[in-house]
Amino acid sequence: MKSAIVAEGLTKIFGSGHTAVTAVDEVSLKVGAGDIVLIMGPSGSGKTTLLSMLGTLMRPSSGGVLLDGKDAAKMSDSQLASLRLHKLGFIFQSFNLLSALTAQANAAIPLMTAGVARKQALKQAKVQLEKLHLGERLDNLPKDLSGGEKQRVAVARALANEPKLILADEPTANLDSKTGAEVMQLLCSTACAEKRAVIIVSHDSRLKEVAKRVITIEDGRLTKEEKGNHDANCPVEHKHAH
Amino acid sequence: MVLIMVLTGLYRGWNDKMGQYIRSVPADIWVVQDGTEDMFHTPSVLPLSYEATISGLNGVEDVRPFSGRRVAFHHRGHDVNMYLVAYDKDNNSGKPARIVAGKPVPGEGEIIVDKISAKTKEIKINDALDIAGQKFKVVGLSEGGDVVTFSFAFINRGDANRVFRLPDSTNYYTVLLTEGTDTPTAISDIKGAIPSVDAVTKQNFIDNNTKLIRETFLPVILVLLIIGVVVGTAVIGLTIFTSVTEKIREYGVLKAIGMSNRQLYGVVIKQSMTAGLIGFVIGSTIAMVLQLTLGSWVPQFVSQINALDVVGIFGLTIAMSVLASYLPIRRITHIDPAEVFKS
Repeated sequence: MKSAIVAEGLTKIFGSGHTAVTAVDEVSLKVGAGDIVLIMGPSGSGKTTLLSMLGTLMRPSSGGVLLDGKDAAKMSDSQLASLRLHKLGFIFQSFNLLSALTAQANAAIPLMTAGVARKQALKQAKVQLEKLHLGERLDNLPKDLSGGEKQRVAVARALANEPKLILADEPTANLDSKTGAEVMQLLCSTACAEKRAVIIVSHDSRLKEVAKRVITIEDGRLTKEEKGNHDANCPVEHKHAH
Repeated sequence: MVLIMVLTGLYRGWNDKMGQYIRSVPADIWVVQDGTEDMFHTPSVLPLSYEATISGLNGVEDVRPFSGRRVAFHHRGHDVNMYLVAYDKDNNSGKPARIVAGKPVPGEGEIIVDKISAKTKEIKINDALDIAGQKFKVVGLSEGGDVVTFSFAFINRGDANRVFRLPDSTNYYTVLLTEGTDTPTAISDIKGAIPSVDAVTKQNFIDNNTKLIRETFLPVILVLLIIGVVVGTAVIGLTIFTSVTEKIREYGVLKAIGMSNRQLYGVVIKQSMTAGLIGFVIGSTIAMVLQLTLGSWVPQFVSQINALDVVGIFGLTIAMSVLASYLPIRRITHIDPAEVFKS
């Protein structure tokens, strides 16, 4: 299985001298195409810092990240922005949709940023939103969408440029349990069908149901890895099995 | 934008007003006493005998004496300042630019005043004006002779001789040249023939008379314009900076999902341009409406905005908008995209 991302000895230290705090300590991780990894851990364990480094939003103090075979440490900020645009998709806890744009325009942002003409971008965004059962909500502003709908728009935005890797930070934290489960099932089955890697950082143990691997992080270190229940729940896997 | 437009319009308008009447006088060359620059601040007295000397020069088609003097008097509680011009109907010298009411030619003891002065100083046809010890009856109204702080008025030659007390003299000569005559050569010939005079082209004489506006009013206008530009730039900049600050998380999201700094700068500059252009359109519209309407209530509000000024102010708006983007762009440059993971 080709690796979508490889992290080697990732370390992040905030501050210096006596006040130095090691948020992530020598974390190594390999995630392949189609892999769905859930990273769990208590508050302050370094989950979000690790996700920020994996997403090239934060440069590590030491160690490195290979994304689709490219070393992020050797890239300039603008090269990293381009890498994020084309290879990564982000899903945030608080959705982070642009308030002045419709659902369709929000989902089209990565495409337009990548240079796709507005009309074409909106057309592609519409197709993606329809796949996520939001065909009736294209022209709605975020304020007029429910939490689950907002997160599905965020999923559509994350999938817009067909990234190799999707990074999700506490994607169910602002959703009720039923909606959270539905959205994540939708994301993971889509990623599974399209062979995209997904890394989810969450407290929510129910997400084990959609993950293939579950990794635990404590005090900045990976302490445990176990198998998730993805294969038992994923409609894509069922289809293949039959 | 309104301030910038109005100030530019006022500068153009006043500059034009100062030279408006002189522009209407048929002349290629103005002959003045040596050392005289303009009609209003440096007196000029020339003997009438020079007329024959100038007439005899090569290329001179016509020479006419032009006499005038500033006078001040009171009327209906107003301080009135006028530049009295001797209108000689026989040789068509000192004619008003246009007559809009009443008699076109003043007889003895009669005067034609500018319609703007008439309005601001409550002067009506048939009013009696007491000027320099002489009584004048207002018989007509002219236009094109208002110079903002005073205006041209016209009396006949006989009355002018009594008021000006310059027997056998005039103040200036206006010279028309025959077609094809080289103006600098004619000027040189006049100066050569009469060493105590100066001769200037009509345009130079207009420029000398509007120099007051350029040298005193223009620096004030420039300072006000600079203030207008600084305030305008600050308003656009603060508007966009506030907008960026309010949406800082959304800019962070855009940065996180892969928008480059250059693209983000483009977004800010577009917003700044939009704000600037909205200001330009609203400002231009208000300035145009003021130009069209305010002049009839406040005659001193002489505004002229030409197409070139509008183009120039449009360019200034673009420059202000780009400049105003500086601080918001600096703000965006410092956004940490990792902040978007904070809920």
